[in-house]
Amino acid sequence: MNHRLLKTFTLIMLSFALLLSMTACGQTTATTTAAPAAGETTAAPAATTAAPAEDVYIAVVSKGFQHQFWQTVYKGAQAAADELGVTITFEGPPSESDIQAQVQMLDSALAKKPVAIALAALSTESVTDQLNKALTAKIPVIGFDSGVPNAPAGSVYANASTDNKAAGALAAENVYPAIKDKLAAGTTDMPVVIAVLSQDAVGESVTNRTLGFVEKMAELVKAGGIAEVASVGHDKFKSGDEKTAKVLIDVGVSATTSATDIASAGTALLSKDNVVAIFGSNEAAANGILDASNEGVDLASKGILAVGFDAGKRQKAAVSSGVFMGSITQDPYNIGYKAVELAFKAYKGESVADIDTGAKFYTKDNMTQPDIGQLLYD
Amino acid sequence: MPEQILNMTGVSKSFPGVKALKDVHFDLFAGEVHALMGENGAGKSTLMKVLTGIYQRDEGEITCFGEPVHFKNTREAQDKGICIIHQELNMMNHLTVAQNMFIGREKSRGLFLDDRAINDEAVQILAKLGIAINPKEIMGHLTVGKQQMVEIAKAISLNSRLLVLDEPTAALTDVEIEHLFKVMRDLKEQGVGMIYISHRMDEIARITDRVTVLRDGEYVGTLVTKDSTHDQIVRMMVGRTIFEEPKQKSTCPPDAPVVLEVENLNAGRMVQDVSFQLKKGEILCFAGLMGAGRTEVARALFGADPKTSGTIRVKGQLVQINGPQDAVNAGIGYLSEDRKRYGVALGLSVAENSVLANLDAYSGKLFVRGGEINQVASQYVEKLNTRTPSIRQLVRNLSGGNQQKVVIAKWLIRNSDILIFDEPTRGIDVGAKSEIYKLIHELVDEGKSIIVISSELPEVLRLADRVLVMCEGRITGEVEAGASQETIMSFAHQRQEQPAV
Amino acid sequence: MNVLSKKPAAGEEMAKQGLAGNQRLYALVAMILIYILFAVFGRNFFSFETAVNILDASYYIGFLAIGVTFVIITGGIDLSIGTVAMCSAMIGGVAWEKWGLPFTAGLVLILVSGALFGLLNGTLVSRLKLPPFIATLGTMMVSLGISSIVSKVQTVNFPSRTSEEGWFKSVFSKVQLPSGAMLPTGAILLLAVLLIAFVVLNKTKIGRYTFAIGSNEEAVRLSGVNVVYWKTIPYIISGLCAGMAGIAYASTYTTVVPGAGQGFELDAIAGVVIGGTSLSGGVGSVFGTLIGVMIMSILRIGLPSMDLQPHYQKLFTGIVVIIAVLMDISQQKKR
Repeated sequence: MNHRLLKTFTLIMLSFALLLSMTACGQTTATTTAAPAAGETTAAPAATTAAPAEDVYIAVVSKGFQHQFWQTVYKGAQAAADELGVTITFEGPPSESDIQAQVQMLDSALAKKPVAIALAALSTESVTDQLNKALTAKIPVIGFDSGVPNAPAGSVYANASTDNKAAGALAAENVYPAIKDKLAAGTTDMPVVIAVLSQDAVGESVTNRTLGFVEKMAELVKAGGIAEVASVGHDKFKSGDEKTAKVLIDVGVSATTSATDIASAGTALLSKDNVVAIFGSNEAAANGILDASNEGVDLASKGILAVGFDAGKRQKAAVSSGVFMGSITQDPYNIGYKAVELAFKAYKGESVADIDTGAKFYTKDNMTQPDIGQLLYD
Repeated sequence: MPEQILNMTGVSKSFPGVKALKDVHFDLFAGEVHALMGENGAGKSTLMKVLTGIYQRDEGEITCFGEPVHFKNTREAQDKGICIIHQELNMMNHLTVAQNMFIGREKSRGLFLDDRAINDEAVQILAKLGIAINPKEIMGHLTVGKQQMVEIAKAISLNSRLLVLDEPTAALTDVEIEHLFKVMRDLKEQGVGMIYISHRMDEIARITDRVTVLRDGEYVGTLVTKDSTHDQIVRMMVGRTIFEEPKQKSTCPPDAPVVLEVENLNAGRMVQDVSFQLKKGEILCFAGLMGAGRTEVARALFGADPKTSGTIRVKGQLVQINGPQDAVNAGIGYLSEDRKRYGVALGLSVAENSVLANLDAYSGKLFVRGGEINQVASQYVEKLNTRTPSIRQLVRNLSGGNQQKVVIAKWLIRNSDILIFDEPTRGIDVGAKSEIYKLIHELVDEGKSIIVISSELPEVLRLADRVLVMCEGRITGEVEAGASQETIMSFAHQRQEQPAV
Repeated sequence: MNVLSKKPAAGEEMAKQGLAGNQRLYALVAMILIYILFAVFGRNFFSFETAVNILDASYYIGFLAIGVTFVIITGGIDLSIGTVAMCSAMIGGVAWEKWGLPFTAGLVLILVSGALFGLLNGTLVSRLKLPPFIATLGTMMVSLGISSIVSKVQTVNFPSRTSEEGWFKSVFSKVQLPSGAMLPTGAILLLAVLLIAFVVLNKTKIGRYTFAIGSNEEAVRLSGVNVVYWKTIPYIISGLCAGMAGIAYASTYTTVVPGAGQGFELDAIAGVVIGGTSLSGGVGSVFGTLIGVMIMSILRIGLPSMDLQPHYQKLFTGIVVIIAVLMDISQQKKR
């Protein structure tokens, strides 16, 4: 009996100790972020209207955490926090299907009474309650990356985001000249295929990029003199008549956002006849193309031109080695930075407006140039 | 003349390739205990399964309570008042006694179960049988003996008039057996007919009225118990005469070297200050009642259970035994009482089982050396006279005695000089038993030293050069070969006069 | 030694408490300790709002865990509950959004499809004798596939608070009281289901046979009980609860994504284990299960309040599960 009690007691104390050590860690990070803040206030005594800096806490709830893209957003957000002398937390769900995880993060963030929230919502409908709550509590919400489309009026003050449709169209504009000559070979029986790999048809930003690419490409092809163009593969992107088309824009949507499923969707696309180009509309899709093509070896042998989106390590390597013709980059650092900056301004009561954080097409030739190079986050 | 409640005539049953029952006859009167005997594989279980509807007979007539019957499942047999109490108890250990007794016949009040009603009824039935068990007790917390009583009470609560008891005493202490017999006598008075399956001759003589013997699926004959002798029955069972004379004198030379010396071994409540020596070529028996701590001594010695203190010397060398592996390396082999759980891997072949404890010696860097394994396994099959069609036969398909021989082969192949046999003949039929005895004697003649733990006194007397008697975790006495049963039993009951903690 | 003589009753009383009883107590103490810990160290943790958040996070896992407790007590396992919950929600949602069924019919359809998946599992396990692990793994994949097919890999959005069917959230998630505070109606529903589950498990034939089968299936069969039938029921209950979890999820998180739900079952099973239900069957309690689920939710909500990434939640849940199983083993050894 005694033995058992002792054991239980030890176990409970052990978990206690573990939790406490975690708390200690948590507190050290909090103080390191607060330290420069204190320095800031003394260095700038003019900012007397500011609330005591150590109380200014902004919660950043992102759509992801592990991807290099989000890590760069995090860096930008942290940099802004350091400059402004505020404390932030940065959280994101393990995958973009984990809506419930994000909602729970937002719930806990709200419970911590932040002065403002920066949010990249996986699904606006899921967080409507929380946005209303923020609205009632007068906590300003700043959308970033894909933002919070169709949010309840008044809850979202401004967005720091890439215009995804324009970014997708930018990819189409760069791909089209390179494949223009091959398109003429297409017949109704044997259409030329331009493949698009999309991680899902749910997320606003990925869908818009895919849509931007599909629409722009169709427009360019028509303008180039081939009227019989159709896009197939998914209801959301359907256009034209598949039966008569000489050029097919084929969108492959992955079953889930797991890397394996994306890769198999990529394999399915690449195994079709007459594929001349493939576009992956986010980092995961670009990696999927690499996974599906034996790290790009199959692309070269089949003469398929590939373009990605975003700038992870693998993708950058693919571009610099010429496996990918190029890729679109957003400016994640700027997204993070601007999100926190907008949040801070909103909290201060300053007027804020949407900011387009921009997108660029990069190739192996321009990626070392300073203006592009700095956007290529790792 | 009491009513004949069961009459089975000309019952036959075949399985693919085997004729399990051939023209078997069996009958039972109300208020009678009728023993069904035979070596393992003689067809006793098959006959009982045919009776209770688990198997369907191919031929023959069964008349039960005056009507011809043909049960399709146990439920139909139960409804007719026939109940079988299995050798392996079929209990739901996590449920209460009353819940166990009334499983499948729960009483309800509206939507909900009425446990109070079944508890009340359980109390009445248990009281009628003179069994002091709380119906709300969790089954798993009862001793095996009490669980057995609950099974019987359950059968009674089903209004059973025909009970089949399949080796009910295999795991009971003497006191519990006494109680069981008392309950059985009460049931006789009430006119319940019982079919009693057991290997224990003394019990047959004490409790049964008639004995029917089967051999190889065939009916051999029926005797009135009080007019028959032990030898007569055994001869019918095995078709030959077996003598089981107690050993008169130790066959181990008094000056033989000590191979195992245990001092002040302690392990929990069941092993307290146990010290003893084992000589080369000696058969040392541990006797005592069920639960006296004999198996626990063996397990602690072998390292299967942790010990709190004690030193062990093998051939004069102090050895540290912290786990079975240490014991095996020291040359000690343990043949568990529960063969099927701890002794053999039922799904492996004879050859694979034979080298299981010593696979390292028969493996190269990557692969096991099948050729050598087969060779050594065949060698021991021959040496121990194991009856198996081939060394590739799965151990599952061997009889109990032959499974035991495979276990013995395993330890011999491991070069164990000290072998601990825990209930070596449990569940083994009479013919195979004497073969195991012969084998044990051959082993000591070869210079092995053997410890035998046995609950059957005739077995102890038959084998032992020396007997250590245990009671409540202590060694209470030591006797030489030739001692009487009474001496041993008196030591076995020598309890410490102190309240249990 | 005289085992048949009367023993003092004290031991029996202790024994009746059972294994689940002890561990449930430890789990409750652990839950309170962890809560206090966060209340002391967390940022704004000790508040009604946080309490509601904890309930919110317990909610769909809670239903899953209550259902799977039944299956685990029979000695089985149901790995399909997470994806079945999401697939059922998807089917009901699509029926309402795309096929034009009334919303209430959609909700009923969610429960029905959950129960049908349960029936499939139960049939595979009890009638066709598949090992539960394999059978439910298969169902997991089947339901994952069906949810993607039915939805055409598109998201389904359940009604929001402002829409015509706004009562959905009020009834199944939480309702705003005139005072402005949020009343967690979902949690009340969860408690109601818990009570029903408790009664079913302890006071009805279903429960009795659930325990009996987990304790010794062969013995139950030999007692003339229709084991095939009674072993199917816990799986149907598990499926039905998965359906309820689907509704709970949809009302709390509105958006149901195709191909989701994998991993929920492990959270639920972890909760069951923490609550003292033995994976080897025969022992278990739904109250313990709820405590187990609550412990995990407190960790999930509490760790961010100490500014820790939620990844730590997995770490700590893992530690708690291991401690729970260690305690289960050490208690079994004592017997």
